[in-house]
Amino acid sequence: MAASAADVRSILSIPTPSASTSTPQQKKPQAAERAKKPDGIPRELYALIGPSAPAIATQFAKPRLKQKPNLGSGGRVKWEWRPFKNAARSDGLRLSHWAKGSTEPDADYPWAKYNIQTAEYVYSQDEYSRLLEDQEWTKEETDYLFKLVREYDGRFYVVHDRYDYPHADPRFSPRTLEDIKDRYFSVCRKLVRNRPWAGDEASKNALLSSLSFDKSREITRKQYVKDLETRTPEQIIEEDALYLELEKLKENERRFRKDRDELLRTLLGIESGLPDLPIDDEGLQGPSVEPKKKKKGVASSVEPQTPITPSASNVISLAQPQPPKKTAKSAAYDILHCITRTDASQATKAPHQPVHLRSTKIPAVKPPGATQRVAQVLNEIGISHNRLVMPTAENIARMEPVLSSANSVVDMKKSLDKVEQDLRIAKARLAALRGETAEEGSGDAPQTPMEVEEGADAESVAGDRAQSVVSTKSTRSRRQI
Amino acid sequence: MASSDRVRVKGLDIHRPIIYGNTAWVLTQKEREALPTPDHTHRWTVAVRSATSAPDSDIVGGADDLSHFIKRVTFKLHDTYTNPNRTVDKPPFEVSETGYVAFCLVAEYARLTARFFAYSWGEFEITIRIMFVQESGEKSITFYHHLKLHPWTAPGSGEPEIPPLDVAAKMGPVHSWQYDEIVFHEPYQAFLNILTAHPPKPLPKTKRRPVPFHTANPGSLEASKGGVPEFTQEMEKEEAERLEAARVQLAKEYQRLQLQVLQKEAELSQVKKEIESATQVS
Repeated sequence: MAASAADVRSILSIPTPSASTSTPQQKKPQAAERAKKPDGIPRELYALIGPSAPAIATQFAKPRLKQKPNLGSGGRVKWEWRPFKNAARSDGLRLSHWAKGSTEPDADYPWAKYNIQTAEYVYSQDEYSRLLEDQEWTKEETDYLFKLVREYDGRFYVVHDRYDYPHADPRFSPRTLEDIKDRYFSVCRKLVRNRPWAGDEASKNALLSSLSFDKSREITRKQYVKDLETRTPEQIIEEDALYLELEKLKENERRFRKDRDELLRTLLGIESGLPDLPIDDEGLQGPSVEPKKKKKGVASSVEPQTPITPSASNVISLAQPQPPKKTAKSAAYDILHCITRTDASQATKAPHQPVHLRSTKIPAVKPPGATQRVAQVLNEIGISHNRLVMPTAENIARMEPVLSSANSVVDMKKSLDKVEQDLRIAKARLAALRGETAEEGSGDAPQTPMEVEEGADAESVAGDRAQSVVSTKSTRSRRQI
Repeated sequence: MASSDRVRVKGLDIHRPIIYGNTAWVLTQKEREALPTPDHTHRWTVAVRSATSAPDSDIVGGADDLSHFIKRVTFKLHDTYTNPNRTVDKPPFEVSETGYVAFCLVAEYARLTARFFAYSWGEFEITIRIMFVQESGEKSITFYHHLKLHPWTAPGSGEPEIPPLDVAAKMGPVHSWQYDEIVFHEPYQAFLNILTAHPPKPLPKTKRRPVPFHTANPGSLEASKGGVPEFTQEMEKEEAERLEAARVQLAKEYQRLQLQVLQKEAELSQVKKEIESATQVS
């Protein structure tokens, strides 16, 4: 380190000899030197290098930090503890939650719309005995199944797991998942099909298709997926190899066919009637043409080929009869002449249907015994059961579902009456029994009418004919009590 | 395929829309005096015509000539008429007659005797038979029409079923017509050619005149008043809508009843359980 004279002097505190003249000069270079001492590098380094310090090293880039992100509202959000109404609830319980002060207090609860209920299928006794009888399923087991499905919301894996029917038939238990699904969906389909449907055909068909379940197909599908998952590595390798070979073969065939057709075209000219084959056309061309080709050779096989290839060219179209197409013109022609076409291919060995008035084809009420009741039901709506204002084919077709709906309504009314009557009798019996047990304590109530009543009740269980007798008797005894 | 062969065209049905029915007028005093039997009160015409009405015509239907496929129409009237079997071989296929309607006490007495029943009311059943041209190879068809003389009334209204003559005369002619379609199934080619050579005029799409009244649509009574009625495609659509509405209504009714049945069944099983427990206890 160079110790300058000034340094020595200052250390030793010797006064400067010529303070005014020399020191400014010395100071200047010193000051100049010191002033240039940059902040980027240490003083010692600077002293070493001197003023030739590279400018870049003297100045490091100030770290440009990212500004703190200004998160939205610099303002404060107010949260409130609010009670809210849940539209999905039926019991009116008011819960509360934190909600932003800015939202409106009575907005709909957004999660309410996710509370979807699945369609429930409930069948009556009558419907069961009419439509849903099955060899492998008793009514109790079917009821149990439906109860479970309802409880577990249609989640069949859970239903299958919890399925534990107490009096299980040993022939058919344990019930597999496919068994219970099959039974459930077939019951639902039968119900949808046989109940009168308010709505149009399309929605009914859509519902039916959503309830479709093919048991054997499901079993094979699941088995297939299981097999797929449990392939050994060797099997996988083998499959891949086979697939590659298949692709190669297909490619070869395509190339072969392309070459053949090009050859044909060059030999016989563009007008040979062969349509321009797209590269991977397999259709009619492939199987029918190839064997002929192989048998007869190139040149001679053109003639028999042309009838096979249905193309738009005139030569070919004469050989094949035109398929009857329903164009708009022919449809208009039919409407003008009041012509309806039916499928002519059905074997009609049936004798000729003679000419008739269309009103004679208005569907009749079956069973004929219920005609009057059906007519009454229809009368209330303002429809005649056997006459139409305009008996066109379409209106007559519309009569059919109307009549069947009316039939179902009549049947349902009958079963309602029956159930109501049974209920009345049962209630009367219950009241009588209760009255009887109350009376037994006192002991001197007239025993005979009640005994008679009891006996009559036993009869009513056995036969329906006694029902009216029983009811009058029970009212009599009730009045006495 | 030669077209005059007796070969049936398979898979084809062809129909022709027709109407049949009658129109009835009350006779004026002068007309009554002009008749040989002065106690007749009404005149009426029963006819079989094409369903489409000619524009500006004063009859119902009849725009097309049906004689290309109808050979003959017979109308069998009530026995009290002379020559009750009336045959019409050429268009227009109709029969006009006058009739006698008795009222009040005479009607009461007459109603007791079946023979005079028709006469006292004037209305009776006419048997109509249509015979087709030979090329059709078809048998004749028979159907019935109840001759309507008295104006239509809404059931359950205050008006009497048979208004007195002067009131009836003011109400204008009474129309009772039924639309129908004669359907030929798989006709002979020759007959088909005849039919296609005379395409029927289509029914007008919308209503321009009163609607012919029909008992199957009691709501159309108001719309049927005030002029010569006409059949339209709109009537067909309206009926289709009514049938559809009926079907939906019946389905809803069914569902409602079903709910009730299920409720009652539940109650019933409950009561039965209580009975069981009651019988076990005692």
